[in-house]
Amino acid sequence: MKFSIGAKIWLSFVAILIVIVVIGSTAYQSINTLIEAAGWRSHTYQVRTALAVVLSNLKDAETGQRGYLITGEDRYLEPYRAALQQMDGVQAELKTLTADNPAQQQRITSLAPLVQAKMSELKETIDLRTGKGFEAARAVVLTDRGKNVMGQIRAIVREMDDAEAALLKTRDEGVQESSRASQLTILIGFLAAVIIVIAAGIFLTRNIGQPLREVTGIAEKISSGDLSVGLDPGNRSDEVGQLLRAFSRMGESLRGMAAVAEKIAAGDLRVEIVRQSERDALGIAFGKMITTLRDMNGELQGGIDVLSGSASEILAGTTQISTGAEETATSISETSSTVEEIKQTANVASQKSKTVSETAQRAAQVSQAGRKAVDEVADGMQRIYDQMAQVADSIVRLSEQTQQIGEIITTVNDLAEQSNLLAVNASIEAAKAGEQGKGFAVVAQEVKSLAEQSKQATVQVRGILGEVQKATSGAVLATEQGSKAVEVGLKQSNEAGEAIRQLADTIVENAQAAAQIAISAQQQLAGMDQLALAMDNIRTASSQNIASARQSEITAQGLHDLGQKLRGMLARFKL
Amino acid sequence: MTASTPKRIDWTAVRERMAAAEATLRETLEPSSQAHQQVLQQRARQMAQVPASDAAGETLEVLQFVLAHEHYALASRFVDEVYPLRELTQLPGAPRFVLGIVNVRGRIVSVIDIKRFFDLPERGVSDLNKVIILRDGSMEFGVLADVIEGVNLLRMSEIQPPLPTLTGIRAEYLHGVTAQRLIVLDAQKLIRDPAMVINETVES
Repeated sequence: MKFSIGAKIWLSFVAILIVIVVIGSTAYQSINTLIEAAGWRSHTYQVRTALAVVLSNLKDAETGQRGYLITGEDRYLEPYRAALQQMDGVQAELKTLTADNPAQQQRITSLAPLVQAKMSELKETIDLRTGKGFEAARAVVLTDRGKNVMGQIRAIVREMDDAEAALLKTRDEGVQESSRASQLTILIGFLAAVIIVIAAGIFLTRNIGQPLREVTGIAEKISSGDLSVGLDPGNRSDEVGQLLRAFSRMGESLRGMAAVAEKIAAGDLRVEIVRQSERDALGIAFGKMITTLRDMNGELQGGIDVLSGSASEILAGTTQISTGAEETATSISETSSTVEEIKQTANVASQKSKTVSETAQRAAQVSQAGRKAVDEVADGMQRIYDQMAQVADSIVRLSEQTQQIGEIITTVNDLAEQSNLLAVNASIEAAKAGEQGKGFAVVAQEVKSLAEQSKQATVQVRGILGEVQKATSGAVLATEQGSKAVEVGLKQSNEAGEAIRQLADTIVENAQAAAQIAISAQQQLAGMDQLALAMDNIRTASSQNIASARQSEITAQGLHDLGQKLRGMLARFKL
Repeated sequence: MTASTPKRIDWTAVRERMAAAEATLRETLEPSSQAHQQVLQQRARQMAQVPASDAAGETLEVLQFVLAHEHYALASRFVDEVYPLRELTQLPGAPRFVLGIVNVRGRIVSVIDIKRFFDLPERGVSDLNKVIILRDGSMEFGVLADVIEGVNLLRMSEIQPPLPTLTGIRAEYLHGVTAQRLIVLDAQKLIRDPAMVINETVES
């Protein structure tokens, strides 16, 4: 098999083409024959139709002639005239159609004079009928000249028709034979084509598909990274052979690249890349990769240094954070206990504020009662004031009566004085009377004594009256002071009423404020509860923070160790 | 209202006191028969007392009076009457001890102030609303007095002679002094004193 795959495929397709060409030409010939036969059949039918037309025209002319002869009416001549016009055309067509048939030409030649004779006979009769009347025309008809000619024409026409029919039959038989041969040829050609196609398919599958599948399997393996596949191209010089050889080279090249990659993986970045061609993407990429790796190595060195330093700082930082978190936890514990104490205090405050609110309510009621009491006090004060006025009036009247008593006392005193003088005078007169006047002297003495007593009594009464006057003055003064005190008291009670009213208002406000405070205290208590809860959460979070800080510390230590390890790893790269 | 507890007025006590006072007043104004009896019995006892007997010695009946807080006495023989001082008419040009003249039942009597007459110092305010009219024969004049104490009997033995150191006009008119510091004046000398007769001509 020294042919290339293209040649093999060409050969297969050419064999199939030859079979198709044989079948196609055979079918073409057969169809041409059939078309020709059909044309001849049509030609025969045209000839036969033309013959029928000739005969029909003659009959039409005869019919028109007869009608005219019988009636003499010109309108009966219309079929005759139409037939007369067509007759020459039909004969010429017939002659053209049968031009390839000498026998028919001969018959047409013999037919033409007969037709001419008939037509002239018809014209003669019509002219006679026109010119000489019916009888003359009838005489011509009765000669049977026209009838005979007509008989001859019919005989020739039938003869021509029969000849055409015989010709048609012969042609049909030829056509049938040729079409049968065509059918056979097409059938054989089809079978041959089927066999050739199957053979070519099997051959092409065996010769091209099998090696291609193998190559595909190898490509699959390479694509999955297996470069160990060995290939035997054999001595095939066709495209498959070339393909196998190309695959072999690709495998070698890839193995070389793999070896380079192996070296790079081992840390040897000194390898030189040999490019297979100008467009060796892998080679270029490897070259770039090595360059990039060298650069990256340098950058990594720097990065690791930074990382190492940062890890150390982070370690220190996390240690501090850990310490700080522990301190925070201690502080949070203290805060938490403080919050608990505050909560209890708030609880107490809430209860106290509730009590205060209730007390304020009671105080508001008490202040209302106080207000009423103060109003009553004001009324009482007013009454006291009025009664004080009455008392003052009574005392003044008493004082006036005392004065009257004083006047009476003065009168009595005067009387006593005069009585005294009278008694003295009586005594003197008694003394002058001598011994007879002694008894009178005693009476006078007694009168004097009475006068003295009266005087003393008046003195006493005067003293008592003075005291009474003093007492009434004191009482008036006291009443005045009392009145003033009551006035002041009235004013003060009004002020007190006002004050208590304001106090009541204030107390009501206080009660409201206390109620609000109680509510606030309640809210505060609720807030403290939430705060305590929050502090618990914070404490939990704080302990978690401590754990996290320790974890961070461990992690930072790990990071630090990682930095050291990376530094060690980077040292393995040979630049 | 106030801090100090007010003094509670015991109205029942007040009413009781008032009732008692009223009852006392009524009793005083209309004394019962028992009180009458008491008064009468007391008076009878006083009357029953025997006055000082004349046998004890010579007695002098005097009129006692008070002038400028000093107790004086005059023999009642020379006293005509006592009279309240009314409608005193001052006399211009009369001696200083003559206060003026009064009309006593149609008689014109001159009134003298014995304090000034004796040159006694003026001591405090005095009533000077009584006149003691002295008479001896045709001579008659009035002596001013504050209070007339009354007529009394004095034993002559009770009357002590005045102090020998007392000289001048006062010694002339002084009769004596009793143990009760009663100054007994010599009414007769006083009446008969020529100084009492004023007969002056006012030169115009």
